[in-house]
Amino acid sequence: MKALKWLLGPYLLAVILAAFFWPQPAKGFIGESSRIVFFHVPMAWAATIAFVVAAIYSIAHLARRSPESDEAAASAVRLGFLYSILATITGSIFAGVMWGSYWNWDPRETSIVMLLFLYAAYLFLRGAISDPERRGVFCAVYALFSGFVMPFLVFVIPRVATSLHPQTIINPQGKILMDTPTRAVFFGALAGFTGLFFWMWDVDRRLERMKRHRAALE
Amino acid sequence: MMTALGFVAAANAVIWIGLWIYLMRLDSRLSVEEARSGGTKN
Repeated sequence: MKALKWLLGPYLLAVILAAFFWPQPAKGFIGESSRIVFFHVPMAWAATIAFVVAAIYSIAHLARRSPESDEAAASAVRLGFLYSILATITGSIFAGVMWGSYWNWDPRETSIVMLLFLYAAYLFLRGAISDPERRGVFCAVYALFSGFVMPFLVFVIPRVATSLHPQTIINPQGKILMDTPTRAVFFGALAGFTGLFFWMWDVDRRLERMKRHRAALE
Repeated sequence: MMTALGFVAAANAVIWIGLWIYLMRLDSRLSVEEARSGGTKN
């Protein structure tokens, strides 16, 4: 694990530099705007993974009622929320260049705002309940409910409504419409940012565990 | 002269290196603390 953490530094640095200098900008996009795909999609992808992880650990918490699973779910939601904000910002930068306005209330933009509200409510819920046992159960139920709603907001609604958003990777043709350099950097970024999410999640969980142990000693 | 693309690439690279160093240091400090407190894993 330690070696992977060491490797992630130069690996993601290479991916970031390749994203800017290796593939040619995609046709049909203004200037270099298509390069945002190497950051925007991995952020949205990592957020989706985080919310799935939160739902899985919420089920575990409801079954076992252990503080570790509650902390793991909460940490995943916090990071998923952060990655969703980053996906929103990168998407907005792309919209500003391509659509002439940073915010258009496009179905994609609307659904990510709904997603942010959905998980912001989880964070407020955590802050509102002081009893750890009640907080754990309430939050696990809410994260599980959100885990069912999230795929509709991420995958279904934007595909049902007409959107300005470029074709997604999972498209109706069932083909990845990318040349080899773009594909290499894209999947490299996807793997790298997924690894980064799991590392941040691990660190955050360990910090929470450390806080709990210290509080128990006081 | 540095192009706008080069500037954005450099800024992204610096942000990433900064975050990576921060995470590495935090991770090591946590490992030390965990070892000192007799292993708080679970």
